[in-house]
This record gives sequence, C-alpha cells and structure tokens, in this order.
Amino acid sequence: MDLMKVIQIAAAGMQAQGTRVRIIAENIANADSLAETPDGDPYRRKIVTFQNLLDRELGVNKVSVKRIRLDMSDFGKRFDPQHPAADADGYVKTPNVKSLLEVMDMRQAQRSYQANLGVITLSKRMIGQTIDLLR
Amino acid sequence: MDLSQLPIFSSMTKRMSWLTQRQAVLAQNIANADTPDYKPRDLKPLDFKNIVRNYHAGLAATATHAGHLSPSGSARTTTTFQEIVQKDTHETTLSGNAVALEEQMMKAAETSMAYEMTVNLYRKHISMIKTALGRGN
Repeated sequence: MDLMKVIQIAAAGMQAQGTRVRIIAENIANADSLAETPDGDPYRRKIVTFQNLLDRELGVNKVSVKRIRLDMSDFGKRFDPQHPAADADGYVKTPNVKSLLEVMDMRQAQRSYQANLGVITLSKRMIGQTIDLLR
Repeated sequence: MDLSQLPIFSSMTKRMSWLTQRQAVLAQNIANADTPDYKPRDLKPLDFKNIVRNYHAGLAATATHAGHLSPSGSARTTTTFQEIVQKDTHETTLSGNAVALEEQMMKAAETSMAYEMTVNLYRKHISMIKTALGRGN
C-alpha cells in the first residue's frame, strides 16, 4: 500500500533529524572540551549533511544522513596562562562551537521533525478512513 | 458485481490512488526540508479529462494476426501519475533547498481532506446501492 510508503518516508526523515539532534547535543556538550597539551586541538564542531537517496526496496526517495563532517573553521582563543594547554603567549584554543547557532539549528531540526510527524498523523487518518470503508 | 465496472467507482478509486501518491510525494518533500539542492515536487493535477480518458482501457483490440500490435491496455490502467518539479517556489535557502514547510504541510492537509471526502462519497454510493437492493437503512 502506498500510504505505508508515506509513513516510511516520513519515518526516514524523522530518523535523519534525530541524528542531527544527536550531533547538536554532542556539539553543545563539548562546547568546553579543551585540549590537554599546547599542541593539541580542542573539540571540533560536527556538521550533519543530508541527501535524498532512492530506496530500491520501497521504490521511493528517502532522506538520509549523507555524512557527518567536521567544521574546519578557526578555533577560538582565550587568555588563560594557568591552563595546561596554554601556548607560549598564554592563550588556550577553544572549540569552534557557538551555542546560539546550535540552539537555532536544534529548533529547526525540531520543526522538521514535527512536520514529519504531522505527515504520519495525516496518513494514518487516511488509512483508517480506507479501512472504515469495510464497515 | 464488480464495482470497478461502474464509472463512478472507478473514477473515485483513481482519485484515491492519485491522492495517495500525492501524499507520498509531499512526504518526500517534507522529509527533505533540509537537504541541500532539493527542489519540491508535486503531481500533475488530476482533471476530469484525465479521469475519463482511460476509462475504457479494458477494451483492447483483438490480435488476429501475429504481426498485430496490441495496445498495452494494462500499462494504461496502472496507477502511477506524472511527477513534476514545483516551479513556483516561495523561497530558496542558501543551500539550494526550496521546500517551504508550511506550504507542503498545507498541501498534505488538503490532500488528506480530499481523501476523506472521496472515501465518504464512496461510502455514500455503496449505501445507495444497498438501498436499491432493499437492505439500506
């Protein structure tokens, strides 16, 4: 039945958004993970990319996580000479995670998740109506 | 009695399969609301001409000679409708994604409502047939 496909497409979308939220949680949790030595790098922010992929079993295009990449932008700097990871000038490299950005991203993921959930609700109602024809 | 032989039922069935397929396309759009370079799709509208045109697809010409080509009657009655890439999109994000979530949700709700209406019509016609048979209520 085609409506079951709808549910699976939406479920795949929810799964992809779930992965995205997981990565965002990792980023936020590691917003203060610094290096231990002066030449080490602190936590590097991760980014999720999506792709539209044909599921041969279902014969439909489903969304899936393409790759989890590292954000190669510059690290921040903080003056903290006491820190074990401080360089000769007393600066410590901080992770390139921006909490505001992550929270915003999370809201967007939440919104997309909700939309997919809405599709499932609608499809379930349609299936229910079709089954009701039997009565 | 084969209900699909009645034009009203066959057209309603067609309408329902069109709505089902549209729902699948819209679900795909919504699932891909954050995929880079994704353009939303939709189905070609199902108009009256479309419903009526393939109605007598079952009446195929008889092949009396090996060289006769038979019109592919079964292919014409399949329930796949043409998918088109939506042209008038509201906005395109920097990543090249043109899905407007609100618009797609609205379309999905609209499809669901149209489906509900068709199902109710179907039921109504069945009950009319039952009435004609003398078992109606």
